[in-house]
Amino acid sequence: MTEYDIAIEVDARGSFCPGPMMELIKAIRQSDVGEFIALFSSDEGTRVDVPAWIKKAKHELVEIINKDGYDTYIVKKLH
Amino acid sequence: MKKVVILGGGFSGLATANHLVRKTKKLNTKVILIEPKEYNVYEPELLVWVFKDKPFSSLTKPISKILSPRVTWIRSEATKIDQNENRIFLKNGENIIYDYLIVATGARMAEEKIGAICADNVCHFYTPEGAIHLKEALKKFQGGTIVVTPTTVPYKCPPAPIEFTFLLDKHLRKKKLRDKSQIKFLYPLSRAFTMKEPAEKIEELFKKRDIEFTSFFNFETVDKENNKVISLEGEEIEYDGLVFIPPHEGFDVIKESGLGDREGWITTDRHTMKHTVYDNVYAIGDATNLPVSKSGAVAHFSSNILVKNLVSEIKGKEPKAKYNGLTICFILVSFHKSMLLHFSYDYPPKRYGLNSSFLYGFFKKLFKTVYFQALIKGYL
Repeated sequence: MTEYDIAIEVDARGSFCPGPMMELIKAIRQSDVGEFIALFSSDEGTRVDVPAWIKKAKHELVEIINKDGYDTYIVKKLH
Repeated sequence: MKKVVILGGGFSGLATANHLVRKTKKLNTKVILIEPKEYNVYEPELLVWVFKDKPFSSLTKPISKILSPRVTWIRSEATKIDQNENRIFLKNGENIIYDYLIVATGARMAEEKIGAICADNVCHFYTPEGAIHLKEALKKFQGGTIVVTPTTVPYKCPPAPIEFTFLLDKHLRKKKLRDKSQIKFLYPLSRAFTMKEPAEKIEELFKKRDIEFTSFFNFETVDKENNKVISLEGEEIEYDGLVFIPPHEGFDVIKESGLGDREGWITTDRHTMKHTVYDNVYAIGDATNLPVSKSGAVAHFSSNILVKNLVSEIKGKEPKAKYNGLTICFILVSFHKSMLLHFSYDYPPKRYGLNSSFLYGFFKKLFKTVYFQALIKGYL
């Protein structure tokens, strides 16, 4: 697994959609351009919403890691 | 004697005070409520009231008529909470020692954070002042584009902007202004509501009523000079009238006392309603960080749990009651119809009925009476 220099970790496990996505948006607002954010989510709806939002907001979904029963979304803030 | 101080006298503070004082009648307990306002406002009707020709007084009742005489009411507000000394400092110079504290301070409308204070053609219906301004602006409106959008989450009553949008459509049709108007609904998610199934129905109704829906619009700022609202995603949408849901956050006294999270929401155990750190502090209503809607229904159901747990503690027993996240939510889809959802921590939203004038009738005609006569008095 690639190591990332994560600026903000968001643990949204146990929270249902849209909770994880809104937490990610908050983290995007708080982070600086070029920083990596890690979002942990166990919600299936997040798999659809988060990639779609990242595409519209023109950030980068670097990787989705599925491990230990939850997904980790690595997101890079591009602007 | 055990002293219980309730900070905040909105719906959740009043209902909890009234319920608690009844349950502790035979216990050696004093219940004190701290609330500066003289009146309680029936907030669920603000968004309907802006379209109606009724005085504002139709939405209010004096707290003196709602609050049990056995509750000691101090008309002031807290400036500082010292949870190590179990002491609250008040604006009027007094300070009070408590054995138990219930924080029910609600949500603050942080309009200044987005530079969109109610003025001219920009407004909201989340405060009495905002609703009064909006009502006047709607009276003057002669056609154009009205944009409706939340600015942040969480906010009180998640369906409220949707309901307002539906009522606005009906209002403009009645005034024969709909042909000269566009209604645009902007929402931060991929769909028009947090929950998938109701969102599908809402989007279907939007299409049918010619309401334009923009998804993934996360409010960033408003350009009042050029009448444009701008999103985090980089979209710009022009308006003639903007109805926004103001940013919500906890009150400064919560942030400064270390009882809350970054946004000032009280860190609350989702089941017991106790503060996550301070054992003799409970929280209730919109002030909490519970992972459910900020709504009267949540306040009502969780208040019953809080009272059970606190009464157990006063009796020297272990507090065992658990809130399961139960929420009931009406969504008005016109002045005469609504849908009704219920959900909890354990199950997703289930719909009771759709476009049912019966449910609307229940909500509109009975619920306000239930609110003032039973719920806020701590019954049910």
